[in-house]
Amino acid sequence: MKPFANEPVLELRRAPVRDSLLEALRELDKQQAMKVGDTSGATFTSTDPGEPDRVVAIAEHGTAETARAAVIAAVEAAPVWAGTGVEKRALALTQAADYIRQRRAAAAALQVRECAKPWAEADADVCEAIDFLEYYAREAVELAAGRELLQVPGERNTMHYAPRGVTAVISPWNFPLAIPCGMVAAGLATGNAVVLKPAEQSPASAQLLVDALRAGGVPEGTIQLVPGFGDAGEALVRDPRVHTIAFTGSGAVGLEIVRAAAETPDGQPHLKRVVAEMGGKNAVLVDADADLDDAVPAILRSAFGYAGQKCSAAARVLAHERIADTLVERLEGAMRALVVGQAGEFATDVPPVIEREAQERVLRYSETAASDGTLTLGGTEPPGDGWFCRPALATGLPPDSPVLREEIFGPLLAVERVRDMAAACDAVDASPFALTGGLFSRSPATIDEVVRRSPVGNLYVNRNITGAMVGRQPFGGNRRSGIGSKAGGPDYLIQFVEPRVVSENTMRHGLVVE
Amino acid sequence: METVERDLFEIGRDLAARFPPRARHPVRALDAKAMELSAQDAELRAALFRFVDVTPACHSLDELARHLAGYLEDVDQKPPPLRAAMRMAESRAGRTALGAAAAAGVKHMAHRFIVGATPRDAVGDLRGMWRDGVAASLDLLGEATVTAPEADRYAERCADALEELARAYEKVPEREQLEHDSIGRLPRANLSVKVSALTPLMRPEAPELGRDDAARRLRPLLQRAHELDAHLHIDMESVDALETTLELVFALLDEPELADGPSAGVVLQAYLRDSPAHLDRILEWSRASDRAQPLVVRLVKGAYWDHEVVEARQHGWRPPVFEEKADCDRNFEELTRRLLDARPLVRVAVGSHNLRSVSHAIAYNRASGGEDRDLELQVLRGLGDDLGGALAASGLRVRAYCPVGELVAGMAYLVRRLLENTSNESFLHEQSRGTPIEELLAAP
Repeated sequence: MKPFANEPVLELRRAPVRDSLLEALRELDKQQAMKVGDTSGATFTSTDPGEPDRVVAIAEHGTAETARAAVIAAVEAAPVWAGTGVEKRALALTQAADYIRQRRAAAAALQVRECAKPWAEADADVCEAIDFLEYYAREAVELAAGRELLQVPGERNTMHYAPRGVTAVISPWNFPLAIPCGMVAAGLATGNAVVLKPAEQSPASAQLLVDALRAGGVPEGTIQLVPGFGDAGEALVRDPRVHTIAFTGSGAVGLEIVRAAAETPDGQPHLKRVVAEMGGKNAVLVDADADLDDAVPAILRSAFGYAGQKCSAAARVLAHERIADTLVERLEGAMRALVVGQAGEFATDVPPVIEREAQERVLRYSETAASDGTLTLGGTEPPGDGWFCRPALATGLPPDSPVLREEIFGPLLAVERVRDMAAACDAVDASPFALTGGLFSRSPATIDEVVRRSPVGNLYVNRNITGAMVGRQPFGGNRRSGIGSKAGGPDYLIQFVEPRVVSENTMRHGLVVE
Repeated sequence: METVERDLFEIGRDLAARFPPRARHPVRALDAKAMELSAQDAELRAALFRFVDVTPACHSLDELARHLAGYLEDVDQKPPPLRAAMRMAESRAGRTALGAAAAAGVKHMAHRFIVGATPRDAVGDLRGMWRDGVAASLDLLGEATVTAPEADRYAERCADALEELARAYEKVPEREQLEHDSIGRLPRANLSVKVSALTPLMRPEAPELGRDDAARRLRPLLQRAHELDAHLHIDMESVDALETTLELVFALLDEPELADGPSAGVVLQAYLRDSPAHLDRILEWSRASDRAQPLVVRLVKGAYWDHEVVEARQHGWRPPVFEEKADCDRNFEELTRRLLDARPLVRVAVGSHNLRSVSHAIAYNRASGGEDRDLELQVLRGLGDDLGGALAASGLRVRAYCPVGELVAGMAYLVRRLLENTSNESFLHEQSRGTPIEELLAAP
C-alpha cells in the first residue's frame, strides 16, 4: 500500500468542477426517493432541510427487534471476518474507498439534499470518509504486527491484538458519511463485525456507506445497517452480545450510553467499551496582538460554516479588551455580508439547520441572548420555508447565561471581553466541555502559555477551528466532550481490539528449543 | 529571434551600466546588507518577517521588544547584534530602547516602499519622479476588507486618490515619452485598485457574488476616472480572486456608458500555468470590445507564489504556479512576445525587475518594428528604483508602482515585498551578490 495521503478536496474555484457537481445534483433530483433497508414494512423518510416537502429517502423503520436481529447476524458473521487476514480486510476497506471515490459528486449531492450540507463541506465530508477507510486500513496492518516485548532465554513472549467481537456504531447526521464511516471502518479493519444505526435524519448517506463496504468485499453479515430512531440505538447499546460501542452525538445521549454500557446483565461475559465523541462549547481566544484581518474570516467560518452544526464549531469568542470593540464591529459587519441560502448554491455561507426542532432551539437561545444581553442578526434574508436561521452575534451576556454555557449547535456566536489571555484561559477552564479551541496571537510566549493551559482535545492557533483532517489533526475531546482516543489518529484502533500476550516456555529438559 | 537575443545583451549591459554604484548610497547599502543577512538564514528571515508583521499591533515599545525577543529565540545561530538585542530584552529599560530602535528600523524600511500615509503626502514624491521621467501608479494599502463599510471606505479612498492625482499632475512639465504612444495620449494620473478590497463577498467558488458587489463600487470609480482623465488599473491578486476580477473588468468595460473611457487595465501573471489561456481570454475580449481606449495589460511574474504553493499543497492540488523559476521566466518572455504582437489591440506594460525579462521586452519590441514608447516598463517603488532610473535615463517609458498608506495597513504588503526580495532565487538578490551580468542576462 502506498503511504497514506489525504484525498484532495475538489478545486471548487474552477468552473468546470462546479458544473460537474451541479450535474450530479440534477441527476439526483431526477431520481425517485432513495430506498434504505427493507421498505416493505414500516418506514420513515429523510427530507431536504432547505425544502422540507422534498423527500430524499424512504427508510425501513428499524425497531429494537430489528437491532437485536442484526446483532445476532453480526455475532454469527464475526468469527469468519476475524479469521480473515488483516491484508484482506484492509483491501476491502481500500476498495470501498475506491467505490466512494468513483461516486464523489453523487455522494456530495446526496448530502446537499439530505443534510443541507453546502458543496464545499459535503465534498470535504466525502473525502474524509475516503481518508478514514484508507487510514485505518493501513493502521490495522501495522497494529496486526503486534508489539515488541522483552525476551530472555528460555521463554518466548508475544503480544498481539484480537478483535473484541461486535461493534455497535451510533452515528450523527452532521457528517453523514465521514463519521459513520470512520467508526465503522475502525471496527471492521480490526476484525470486528459492525452494526450501524445512523441518525434518522441521514439514512441515505449511511446506505451509501454500507453499499461501498459490501462492494469493497465486506461480507453481508459483517456490516449490518439498522435505520431507525433512539429505541433501535438503545437496543444495540443494551444488547449483551455487543462488545464495543462507538458513538458520536449529543452529550445527553452519550452519558446515557456510558451508564447503560456499564451494566453487566446475566449472559454477558464481558465488559463493554464505549468510545464516545460528544458536544462542545468551543472558544476562540483573540489576543491584543492578533491579526484581525485573519481572525475575523476564520472565526466566521468556524462559527457559521454549516450553520454552526459541527461539534468543533466556535460558540464563544474571548476577546482581549483592547481589541474587543473593533473585533465585534468587524465580526458584525462581516456577519451581515454572509449569504443565507440553499446548500446547493455555491454562494451560500449559512445553509438551513437540520430540522424544525433545531430551528426552534436556536430561536429559543437567540431570545435568551437578546434578553440577557445584545443580539445582532446577520446574513441575508432566508429564501423559502426551509429550516433557516440567520447567523447571530450575542454580546454583553452575564457569565452565567445559558448562551455561554450550553451547546446550541446552531449559528449563534457569543463574544465576551477578557482582561487578558490568562483570564480567557480561566474562562475556558471553568467549562465542562473541552473539545476544540482557538487562539489568535502573534506572541510566541502567549501561544506557549495558552497551549500549556488549554484542556481541549484540539487547539488551533491562528486559523479556523473546524475541518480536522485524518492523519493531520486526529480529532476528539476531553472532559465531558468525549471518552476515548482521537479519531483519525494513531491511537484510535486500539480501542476496538483486546491485547493478548502469550509467554511460552521454550526450555525442554534443560535445552532451549526455539 | 537571434537579433533579439543579441540585442537584449546589449540593452541589458547598457542598463546595468546606468545603475548607481552602491558606494554612492550608503543607506541603500545598509539595507542591502540587512537583506543579505536575512536571505542567508531562513530562521532569521522568519523572525524579522514576523516582527515586521506584528509591529502595527503593538501598543508600546515594551510590547514590541517582547515580541522581537520572542521571535529571535527561535533563531539558532544568532549573529552578535541579535545576541545583544536578546540581552537588552531582559530588562524593562533595555526593552524600551530595543523597542524604539526596532520600531525605527521598521519605519525606515517601510518608508522605502511606501510613498506616504495619504495620496496628498505622496504628491511631492510623485511630481519629483515625473520630473525625473518616471510616471506612477498609486496603490492604496489597507486592512483586508471583511465588511461592506470597509469596502465603501476603500472605494471612497480610491475616489479621493483620483482627485488628488489629477491635481498633482496638473502643473507638471510635459514628458513626451510618458504621455504619448503611437495609439494616442496617455493619462498622467494612474491608480491601481484591488477587487478584494472593493467587496467583502469574494468567494472563489461563487465569483459572481464578488463580481456583482464589487461592480457597484468600481463603476463610479471608472466614471470618475473618465471625467478626471485618469487611468484605472485593476490589480490581480491570488488565484482565488482571479475569476471574479476578470469577469468584473470585462463586464464593466462592456457597459455602453464606459465605452468612451476611461483607460483601464488588467494584470497577467506569468507564474500561473494557465496564464497563456488567460491571455487568450483577454485578447478575445479585446477583439470583441468596441471601447475607444485599448485595454492596458500589465505583465508581471506574480507576487503570491508562496501562498499559491502552500494552499495547493494543503489541499492536495497541483500548484497553479510554475514551480521552476526557469519555466516561469520562459513563459514570461513568451507572453511578452504575444502581447507585443497583439498591439494595437492592447497596450503593453511589462512589470519586472529581472534585467533579462526587461531587456528581452525592449529588444523584442524593437525587433518587431515597435517604437520604444509603445512599451511601458513598470517597477516597484523602493525595490526597482535603480532599474527605473536606468530605464528613464535610456529614454524608455517607466512607471513606478507606488503604495500609499498607513504603516499599520501597509505591513502585509511590506512583508510580501521583503519575502520576494530576499528569496534565494530573487533577481535583485543575485544582483546584490555581484553575479556577473552575462549570467543575469542568460536565456532561462
